[in-house]
Amino acid sequence: MPFGRVELKEEIGGHSLWTLPVLGAVHADTILTTWLAMAVALVFLAYVGSSYRSPRAGRTQTVFEGVVDYIADLVYGSLGKGGEPFVPFFIALFIFIFLLNQFGILPFKALGLPFGGSPTADLNTTLALGLMMFVTIQVAAIRKGGIGAYKHIFSAPPGAPPALALLMTPINIIDEVARPVTLTLRLFFNIFVGELLLFVIASIINAKITIGAFNLSLAVTVLPLGIEFFNFFVGTVQAFVFTLLAIVYLALSISDDH
Amino acid sequence: MTSQALVAAATLIAFALIVTGVAFGSAIGDGLVASKAVEAIARQPEARPNIFTFLFLGVGVLEAFPIIGLGLAFYMLFGIVGLPSGIFASLAGH
Repeated sequence: MPFGRVELKEEIGGHSLWTLPVLGAVHADTILTTWLAMAVALVFLAYVGSSYRSPRAGRTQTVFEGVVDYIADLVYGSLGKGGEPFVPFFIALFIFIFLLNQFGILPFKALGLPFGGSPTADLNTTLALGLMMFVTIQVAAIRKGGIGAYKHIFSAPPGAPPALALLMTPINIIDEVARPVTLTLRLFFNIFVGELLLFVIASIINAKITIGAFNLSLAVTVLPLGIEFFNFFVGTVQAFVFTLLAIVYLALSISDDH
Repeated sequence: MTSQALVAAATLIAFALIVTGVAFGSAIGDGLVASKAVEAIARQPEARPNIFTFLFLGVGVLEAFPIIGLGLAFYMLFGIVGLPSGIFASLAGH
């Protein structure tokens, strides 16, 4: 039946599962795609690093020097001289999230491969990233100031009466816990909705809708081009926002003046 | 109109209201951020890279909410009337 309705191959929010001995059921496609992204990043960045010593600065080297300089400037600007150990971490974080966001553009799943789609469109990936930032920030704060790093949570803001600490403590605790949650949900929803929009277009095309003489299914076929550009922009901005907010939260928790 | 068509029509209106609300709010917010950034660059052109950083931070944080709203609106739409073929079938009343 060449012109009949075809079954949609793409699905949204569905994952193939692996059952592992200790971990239980895990999302196989998310894990495979993440490994693929890591392999691509390792090979490509090793190539960039090995070509670094050549006397001629190529286009790739210029682009990567720009990225590295930009993030290093952000870290030094927020954390001062003490931010030096964190510079490689934040560069890696930005490039990793950027790659994970953009991997959804490659149609691996449509080709029948077991991986594909953006790993960041899965709540597990973004929750892991958010929790990693939370733990990093707590460990950095304790290494900097011992248990006294939590003093600002249980004390009133400077200039306020000390009794205000009773009121401020729950607010400060909520503030501290809400940070990884908002980091997680912001990244997840942005990437997930990008894939959801493509899925909606696909199902409108598949439904063969005509309103009078107007063929809606034919008209919406131009939309995915714009949506993919939008997704590329959103993925880049969200990778940047995640990195920058992580830097700001780290600076808030290990800076001297609180 | 059958009751199924009424439910589909009401859900579509609710979907449109949600998208209108989040688009309206985020458009105002984006406009405020961009206009303040232009003002700041006009006043201090040498601080341009710094201002751009916080412009993108502000827009990135701001754009998350309409997208979350759109996602939840789609969730409601699919949950009640199903995929687009189901929506048009409900509105046609069969």
